[in-house]
Amino acid sequence: MKSEAEVKQTLRDWIIKAAGGKISQEQLQNDTPIIEERIITSLQIMDLILQLEKITGKPLDVEQLKPGVFRNIDSIYENFCGENGDEN
Amino acid sequence: MASIVELAKRLCEVSEKSYLNPYTYITWQESMPKEQWFMSPELISIYGTSEYDKLDLKQKQILSFYESVNFFSLNIHGEKSLVEGIAHRLYSKELKDLAPYLHHFLDEENKHMIYFGGFCQRYAGKVYRNRKLEIPREYAKGEEDFLFFARILIFEELVDFYNIRMSTDETLEAITRQINLVHHLEEARHLVFGRQIVEYLFEKYSPSWSEKVRRNIQEYLAAYIVTTWKEYYNPDVYTDAGLPEPYDLVESAWNTESCRAHRKKVSAKIIEFLKERNMILEEPVL
Ligand SMILES: [Fe+2]
Ligand SMILES: [Fe+2]
Repeated sequence: MKSEAEVKQTLRDWIIKAAGGKISQEQLQNDTPIIEERIITSLQIMDLILQLEKITGKPLDVEQLKPGVFRNIDSIYENFCGENGDEN
Repeated sequence: MASIVELAKRLCEVSEKSYLNPYTYITWQESMPKEQWFMSPELISIYGTSEYDKLDLKQKQILSFYESVNFFSLNIHGEKSLVEGIAHRLYSKELKDLAPYLHHFLDEENKHMIYFGGFCQRYAGKVYRNRKLEIPREYAKGEEDFLFFARILIFEELVDFYNIRMSTDETLEAITRQINLVHHLEEARHLVFGRQIVEYLFEKYSPSWSEKVRRNIQEYLAAYIVTTWKEYYNPDVYTDAGLPEPYDLVESAWNTESCRAHRKKVSAKIIEFLKERNMILEEPVL
């Protein structure tokens, strides 16, 4: 498993690419609300889920998702990759 | 509305005449040997990749089994949200005159899930999980209904290409072929209905939409086509078929030129339909 900084960088790279020019590396913070500000659309979440499964090596159960888990990089890390990553 | 009500009436007649009992339509067999084709090879998601070419016949057929389970599973997930949405709109003010046909729609989709689920549970012991997610948001007037039916139409058009091909592929396992056939026959009606209702709702509501709403819809539908395709590339399938690095395979297959060409070919009809009516502006990046 990668370090927290590495995982967040991987997430950041994925978001920048998926956003297709809507935001730059400098603008995107760990607490930037990516869904609310429509940087990432709900249709792209499927790809994000695949990325997270690849990073964590664990399947992600969509039926068990709590609202707001995809809010920003911090919340994604906390819910899926951090110490509480198993709880989702 | 009058012309859709007329169409719905005719479709009701056909649905009533060809009404099926899903519990007797298919004779399920105890077990399902995997040394046969369950998906036409050229419809297998990684067909055309070097990873596919490396497999021997037995491995390809095992993969075809899990690909078929995935195809049936993604149908179940699509049909689940379809049934939810139709049930929600049954006897609504907007669609009350179409209620008799919506009952058939619900009935037929429920039957499809009985076939698909019956196959998956019996022979694979599972339905593959869903990774699609819709986040609730605000809609302009008529937008939510329009998008609901447009999503169904896109989803069903792609599926129908596979059903048509597989219902006539003599090399396929018999039950698989039969499920594809019955699905195609009933979906043909849903597609006729779907095109009409999508047109009707668009014509009725789009004049009241702002430029921004219209632009969002066009982008959304183009993106929806792409996301719908992503479900066809499931790493769980590759894991079950014993293929290494399943997540990397999703990416490499997606980026393989022949796979892209396949997606474009299958989507051509629905893209043309949406483009002609300004429901999408640019071709989706497939
Ligand atoms: Fe169906
Ligand atoms: Fe259908």
